[in-house]
Amino acid sequence: MVIEVGKDVVVVGGGPSGLAAAVRLAELGYGVAVVESGDELGGILIQCIHDGFGTKLFGKALSGPEFASSFIERLGELGVEAWTRTHVVRVRLEGGSWVLTAVSPRGVLRFKSRAVVYATGCRERTPFEIRVGGTRPAGVYTAGLVQRLVNLYGVLPGRRVLIVGGGDVGMIVARHLHLEGVEELLVVFPEPWFAGLPRNVQQCILDFGIPFRPRTIVKEIVGKERVEGAVLVRVDEKWQPIKGTEEFYPCDAVVFSVGLVPNASQLEELGAEMDQRTRGPVVNEYFETSLRGVFAVGNLLTPFDYVDDAVETAFIAAEGVSKHLSGEARRDKPIPLRPGPNVRLLVPHRVEWASGRDVTLFLRPSVERENPRISVRSSGGELYHTRRRYARPSLMERVELPRGLVESSPEGVVVDVE
Amino acid sequence: MLSDVVCVRCPRSCLIRVAVEEGSVKSVEGYGCRLGFEYAVEEVTNPKRTVCSTVRVVGGRYPRLPVRTSEPVPKSKIREVVEALRGVTVKAPVRRGEVIVRNVAGTGADVVAEMDVEPEAA
Repeated sequence: MVIEVGKDVVVVGGGPSGLAAAVRLAELGYGVAVVESGDELGGILIQCIHDGFGTKLFGKALSGPEFASSFIERLGELGVEAWTRTHVVRVRLEGGSWVLTAVSPRGVLRFKSRAVVYATGCRERTPFEIRVGGTRPAGVYTAGLVQRLVNLYGVLPGRRVLIVGGGDVGMIVARHLHLEGVEELLVVFPEPWFAGLPRNVQQCILDFGIPFRPRTIVKEIVGKERVEGAVLVRVDEKWQPIKGTEEFYPCDAVVFSVGLVPNASQLEELGAEMDQRTRGPVVNEYFETSLRGVFAVGNLLTPFDYVDDAVETAFIAAEGVSKHLSGEARRDKPIPLRPGPNVRLLVPHRVEWASGRDVTLFLRPSVERENPRISVRSSGGELYHTRRRYARPSLMERVELPRGLVESSPEGVVVDVE
Repeated sequence: MLSDVVCVRCPRSCLIRVAVEEGSVKSVEGYGCRLGFEYAVEEVTNPKRTVCSTVRVVGGRYPRLPVRTSEPVPKSKIREVVEALRGVTVKAPVRRGEVIVRNVAGTGADVVAEMDVEPEAA
């Protein structure tokens, strides 16, 4: 038997962005269902027990579960249907409606809706993707898995742990492992300094004197049954190993925190246009993909530094869903928003609707600059700029661009950091 | 003595320089707002942190319950706070904000639950 569920909108993914989209859509009066493949709502936040979430949105530092709870409770108040342990396996456009086939312990479900919001987040990059050599023993983890093991199950990955990667997740995991009793820790990363936020460098690493080695990578993992250690090697500015600097580091676990990749495979299979830089979908100013009525929000677009920003994309997309459902007009020709030479990635990618709110841009600089200008140019010259005290690749910038300026440049604009 | 402090009160991460002479703050430079000024002074004179950890919980979906201090505690007390949670066990149901340990390690702060835990059928 197939369970049929008809809604105005189906949200795929019950993490913070999916929850935020569902809450806002329900507040706008639409019938919404949230489909979550995991055991519970809240997504990655459930295992992020540290505080610091919500500083932009709520003006205070909440823990991950606290941040998620505020949306989960609101969802309940609004009476939104949430289907956990339900995994979408197939999506088709049938007679103008999106039909999502999902499997769950209760059986097969068919969700039918006029719009879909994808909020499937990211997956972690694996050691295979950064070409680590050596053996494949037990004791090699990704950072997210370790976070889950430690914070939900109280299981430590080892006694002497090597952490690979100097981003935010790696630093936060290092702090937890240190506090929960791991005897020896070392953090290595190829950059000259930690790639994550300065606040995490202070609060996770420097506060506890956790040892770290910049410009160092793992060449290979050593061990037969279990990890016995790793061969470290120093790298030059181009991240190329320096011969003769190999060193054996004994440890019983290696934790990789080497980046996140949008979970966009289902959208890609559906034929959504993809951005080679973000590896997520191409979207318009309301975070709608190239498939009409299919929106993409949160870390599925690109990993955000702050859940507050991810949630904002969901709020904006909810307004877009409303525009789509009420059949508002689109432009004849979309206006492209392009990243300049000093911008590593930029979302959204174009302005497609005939009217609406100002355009909220998120961009990650590829360079480090003091007192930079974030500029928006058309072929006719500069349209807009805003100043920052500092720009760095570890910090995603958010820019609110007046809609009228974009509309005055139908051939497109370039956003850059100067 | 000059100390550089990275402000953690908001995402701007201002680099603030605090000059201290004979135990009193002489100057504070580089802060972007009042919060940053206060944070920098506190960070140099009496640094504090919110401590987040877990305690054992029985009868819930997972064996650990995430907890945090109700307010920031002196940085020097972090280790003691974590140690004080070692033998603590609570039973589901637990409500978010419920006090798990009162006045933890003599800091005046309580340790509170970060989330609800519903009893799970065994």
